[in-house]
Amino acid sequence: MCDADNTTTKKTIRVATGDRAILPEGAKTIPIYIMGKKYDVPETLTIMKAMEFAGFKFLRGAGCRGGICGACPTVYRMAGDYKLHYGLACQTVVEANMYLAQIPFFPANRAEYNIEEIGGAAEAIHALYPELFRCVACNLCTKACPMDVDVLGYISALKQGNIKKAAQLSFDCIQCGLCASRCMGEIPQYHIAQLARRVYGRYIQPRAEHLAKRVEEIESGKYDAMLQDLSAMSKEELEKCYVEREREPDMTAPGAWQPKETRYL
Amino acid sequence: MAYTPEMKELIKRVEATRPERLARARRGENYPALTMAEREEVLSKYHPDYQSDAKRTVQVGPNKGDTFQEGVARLLESRSIVRPDKVNLSTVDFDTDVLVLGGGGAGTSAAIMASQGGCRVIIATKLRHGDSNTIMAEGGIQGATQECDSPYYHYLDTIGGGHFTNQRDLVAALAHDAPLSIAWLESLGMIFNKLPDGRMDSRHFGGSSRKRMQSAGDMTGAEIMRVIRDEVRNRSNLITTLEFHPAVELLLDEEGKCAGAILMNMETREFSIVRAKAVVIATGGFGRLHIKGFATTNHYGATMDGVVMAYRAGVGNKCLHSTQYHPTGVAYPEQNVGLLITEKVRGLGAHVLNIDGEQFCFPLEPRDVESAELIREAMDVGKGIITPTGRVGLWLDSPMIEELHGPGTVKKELPAKFIQFERHGIDISKEPMLVYPTLHYQNGGINVNGDSETIIPGLYGAGEAIGGVHGENRLMGNSLQDIITFGRRAGRNAASYIQGGVTLKGLTLDHVVKFEKELAEAGIEDPAIAPILLPDYATEEVVERRWTEALTDRAALR
Amino acid sequence: MKISYYPGCTLKSKAANLEAAAVAALATLGIDVEEIDRWNCCGAVFSLTADDLIHQVGPVRNLVRAKEQGATQLVTLCSMCYNTLARANRIMRDDAVKRDTINRFMDEEIDYAGEVEVVHLLTFLEREVGWQKIREKVKVPLEGLRVAPYYGCTLQRPADVGIEPFGSFHLMTGLLEALGATVTPFAAADTCCGSYQVLNGEAGARSTAAVILDNAAASGAEALATSCPLCEYNLGKQQGRLLEAGQITTAVPTFYFTQLLAVALGVAPESCLFDLNSAASLDLLKTKNCLVAA
Repeated sequence: MCDADNTTTKKTIRVATGDRAILPEGAKTIPIYIMGKKYDVPETLTIMKAMEFAGFKFLRGAGCRGGICGACPTVYRMAGDYKLHYGLACQTVVEANMYLAQIPFFPANRAEYNIEEIGGAAEAIHALYPELFRCVACNLCTKACPMDVDVLGYISALKQGNIKKAAQLSFDCIQCGLCASRCMGEIPQYHIAQLARRVYGRYIQPRAEHLAKRVEEIESGKYDAMLQDLSAMSKEELEKCYVEREREPDMTAPGAWQPKETRYL
Repeated sequence: MAYTPEMKELIKRVEATRPERLARARRGENYPALTMAEREEVLSKYHPDYQSDAKRTVQVGPNKGDTFQEGVARLLESRSIVRPDKVNLSTVDFDTDVLVLGGGGAGTSAAIMASQGGCRVIIATKLRHGDSNTIMAEGGIQGATQECDSPYYHYLDTIGGGHFTNQRDLVAALAHDAPLSIAWLESLGMIFNKLPDGRMDSRHFGGSSRKRMQSAGDMTGAEIMRVIRDEVRNRSNLITTLEFHPAVELLLDEEGKCAGAILMNMETREFSIVRAKAVVIATGGFGRLHIKGFATTNHYGATMDGVVMAYRAGVGNKCLHSTQYHPTGVAYPEQNVGLLITEKVRGLGAHVLNIDGEQFCFPLEPRDVESAELIREAMDVGKGIITPTGRVGLWLDSPMIEELHGPGTVKKELPAKFIQFERHGIDISKEPMLVYPTLHYQNGGINVNGDSETIIPGLYGAGEAIGGVHGENRLMGNSLQDIITFGRRAGRNAASYIQGGVTLKGLTLDHVVKFEKELAEAGIEDPAIAPILLPDYATEEVVERRWTEALTDRAALR
Repeated sequence: MKISYYPGCTLKSKAANLEAAAVAALATLGIDVEEIDRWNCCGAVFSLTADDLIHQVGPVRNLVRAKEQGATQLVTLCSMCYNTLARANRIMRDDAVKRDTINRFMDEEIDYAGEVEVVHLLTFLEREVGWQKIREKVKVPLEGLRVAPYYGCTLQRPADVGIEPFGSFHLMTGLLEALGATVTPFAAADTCCGSYQVLNGEAGARSTAAVILDNAAASGAEALATSCPLCEYNLGKQQGRLLEAGQITTAVPTFYFTQLLAVALGVAPESCLFDLNSAASLDLLKTKNCLVAA
């Protein structure tokens, strides 16, 4: 129902719709092993869509389907090779003779804290996560990361007390948990990274002064009447204001330009 | 994955026509644009929003008489998952102050603000906390924070962009709260792109008069979601999060106030009754309905659940006929399917071509017209390219950009796209891209006022699930702001509603009984059962092999 | 001259004075300190496994970084880091079986076979700069300051990675003399400071520390020089408590050798982060006129 091939066509062209794959005439299939069991699926499919093609319906293990939510971490191995590979099921294409399993959840300790009180010193992070110092720099976390985050790098930075570096190195983290699943020190890397980024954003990165000023202006009611006036305008009046508004030049730096009309600032 | 040998063979046809097309482009000649009459025709025949055949009028409920896409209409005219007369409402499993439906950006913001107001909160979400369209939003969040800007201009840009069809109190709320939202996120520790002195490094976007787009790398939504989810997890004394626990029906009390919901544990298929003094609908959009079979940029759970439940309770919707399609979504490789390819590619001169390497449309028609022309060429003329997974697409000849503007232009002007394709073995400065229209955003949604209130006391709405903020066309960066502004308003107002004293009377599903009676009276045959919760991607072959008809007891084998 | 340098975690936090002084001092000697990129913990605190091999992965990874970045020697200041890195390096150079296992485990890195030499700054100063040159560069001689050269455990043990033979203290002595200080040898120079005992047996660690400090004072020392953050903690930061408790009677302010080097070379005291030492340390230097005029 949600996905019907009901397009208006003179000829019937059978095509894949939504996220449902079909096997067009003459297309090749390849064998993959989902949790050890063989299925033949069309080549070039992602692991996620290949599993759906095979008949699986996801509850866990599927989220944004666009590589950013961290719901579909998958570990796989090619037949005959000892190497483990890691990827997101929605971003990794099936290969022939791939043995795969999803790890949709992995338990990891998370410490509660109050962002208002924690402050910007690394010692607070060390106190919440003493297991940080169980890292032996084996680097399996980094090898497992589907986003190519330098996990060992940010863990090392935090041990060194460098919150800024940890925040920057961990920025692409999607919190899928593969790092924690591989850690011999049983460290919940991604929770620690989240804490480091929030501490960085709150206490270390300079605050936006123009923003604080604007908040004061809004809270003083400065714009209330202007917005009411706009809401009361006829469509024609609104159109006139819309067309006449000045456009900030592309090449000026933020904060550098002032418009001629300043009554509404 | 790189193009298959078969596809590479087809690309030779594109290369064969390229010199002649380039010569024409250099002479300033282009494929003729459609006349207004031709536009009308192609839109009405091929564009999902305009095609009359795939649309119909709903016969029941608050929007009775309005026209919707078939897939949407079918869900509005649907039956409940549960039989109201068989549900025992006397056993309450969870008692709380505020029940938030949906664990994306809007729901999470609402939960934080309600807990700030001293309320006990339950977040009930269908997938994991954070699985949402919020997390996928890359570009940025609007907010008039700079000196040269103000809420006044944010209002104007937003309502102009929406062709003046927006609901004005919502636009005013959005423009007013936007800087407050951004300050709130900053205080929670969100990392924004800033200049060394802390100033927001804000940018222009389509339809902006001021540089108002604030961002966090190219994963602004993900950064917002990570931070506010983490904040919820720091408030476990007040906020309980139930994952894989979607709502399937709203509960009212005997006085008609909203009083909770029925939840379903998706893993065990158990149901539970939540009694709550206020409910926030923040269930997101409908991309996964794949209206007319389109691929989508949306997350797995975007199935319009909240709109459906609210409809049965008597809350109508607006602008739900309006969907944001993008003419050039990726059709190959499979990892990128549905993701957007910016208009800039065509702006830089890339032609849209069929399987024979021929042009069939002017590449820079308005988005809706361009989409319709691509659909016609693939589905009616039959000159689309079929991928190894059975998907259809048309070529977007990006290598032309190198020829027209000099080597290296593709990488310089389209760095993110270049990398995105390069990662999968496709060099878009040398090989064309395969594209097809994709479904991006539900412009409409349930009716609320500027305080996020619906007409039902105690029922609030926020985020993509509500309608009217954007009118019929949404500006970039306003969806993330919509989520935070109305999420926060919903949470705050729910808390003050409760502080004002709310006494719930007996729980009831009478609204469902009444709605289903209307369905029967309208003679609607075989109504859908909704919310559908998740899309079903089983192939026809798999469905057939499940022997649906031959089973003794289908339910037992579910 | 440019040197590849490995700092270690403690030098980025609690022992920042060990590093800051070294960097400032080396700058005055025309030596450009280049911290290797992407370093991790030296390995000193890796205590998770009984076998020795996983213990080596962290230190070896630092050596791989140095090799990758083109270094032939890697200079470090902290005794503990020096010891851990040097021992790992020896395994990689001399033990073919272990080398092979570790290289296989670290298959994401380039192979490593001990190509980089791990050098303690004391060794480096003697070998590559020379005491004579340092003597010539001294601006504020530490005249009249009686300093006990304290080595602790890890600069000399085990013998095959020691910066000099067990029982010999000529490196620190040579440096201190070049700086104009009076060296006061003492018997407890290589007695363990108590190390991590402080974590589970504070009393024991404190009595060990008291023995060392008493012995130094009895030998006529007014100050004690060290290169190890843990020694500095047990002997320096805890010294006030020892005095209060009456476990020692005479204060012997402690310094990192890099701090003494720096002040003698005329580096401003602010650059040596004396605020991380006990207050007595800076006071002593002031009393003795060992600081460059402001």
